[in-house]
Amino acid sequence: MATNPMHQFEVYRIGPEIKINHIDISFTNASLFMIISSIAILLVFNLGSSKKSIIPNKIQLIAELSYSFISKMISDTAGTKGKPYFNLIFSLFMFVLFCNMLGMLPYSFTVTSHIIVTFVLAAFIFIGVTIIGFIKHGLGYLKLFVPSGVPLILLPLIVVIEVISYLSRPVSLSVRLFANMMAGHTMMKVFGGFVISLGIVGGWLPLSFSVALTGLEILVAFLQAYVFAILTCIYLNDALNLHH
Amino acid sequence: MSEKKFKTRLEIAKKKFANKNNENSVNKSSVLGAAFKMSTEFVAAVAVGTIIGFIFDNWFGTKPWLILIFFFVGVVAGILNVVKSAKNMQIK
Repeated sequence: MATNPMHQFEVYRIGPEIKINHIDISFTNASLFMIISSIAILLVFNLGSSKKSIIPNKIQLIAELSYSFISKMISDTAGTKGKPYFNLIFSLFMFVLFCNMLGMLPYSFTVTSHIIVTFVLAAFIFIGVTIIGFIKHGLGYLKLFVPSGVPLILLPLIVVIEVISYLSRPVSLSVRLFANMMAGHTMMKVFGGFVISLGIVGGWLPLSFSVALTGLEILVAFLQAYVFAILTCIYLNDALNLHH
Repeated sequence: MSEKKFKTRLEIAKKKFANKNNENSVNKSSVLGAAFKMSTEFVAAVAVGTIIGFIFDNWFGTKPWLILIFFFVGVVAGILNVVKSAKNMQIK
């Protein structure tokens, strides 16, 4: 099992096969870990907000700190208009963070190391932000694709370029999270494999690398969740405060 | 100024300098993140442009031409993305 570094990304079925019209919707290990992370988030924040003591205990401190962290992030990037979307950004950040962090446990499965998961999250944000933009500004939202002060001859080309740039947002958002998680976990597995194959004589060097990589991966897990959330805020800001 | 006092001040200054170097190493990882962010933004735009060209080619039956044009339009859009995110970083 330890020989193949890509083995950890394998999705397999748990329980019976469920099929609707040739679409396989069976319960897999990926769905299991998504449910675990959702339950973990619910547990932490229910416990954290149940006792409202003035001097907070540790779980309450986590809940309050993460609340103020996200709240500050939204007001910094999207301004006061972004406040109504706090629920969306907060749950998104927490889901990505918990999936990344649960993936750091040995023998667990990293949901966010699959491009389809991150792409669905990013596409959902992209479609949502576009709808919000059209609701707030009507057809005036299309002005986003027409920068001011462009000569009329260049306009068709510029609009095509801007549209492609807009469409590339979900791709870059999802690829960044997926590539970071997958590369990091593969590296950890490869160095872990070196420890085994070099044995007690030469295995100490890759072992120390492994320890350092684990620390780095925890940093990356947090950083990528943060980047995912902050980019959502920036896109939301573009949709709410139209200026070009 | 006595020599002892000078030595303690030197120690403090050295420590401060070491701390600054530490801050730089933290900054380095975030700079690496920024570099990765820009590269994905560039690649994503090129990929999206190429895919759009491929789809349009299949629609209109103009096999090699639109994919070529949209590839280069995608490159331009990628450069635009990089410039935009660099501007965002400078505001921060």
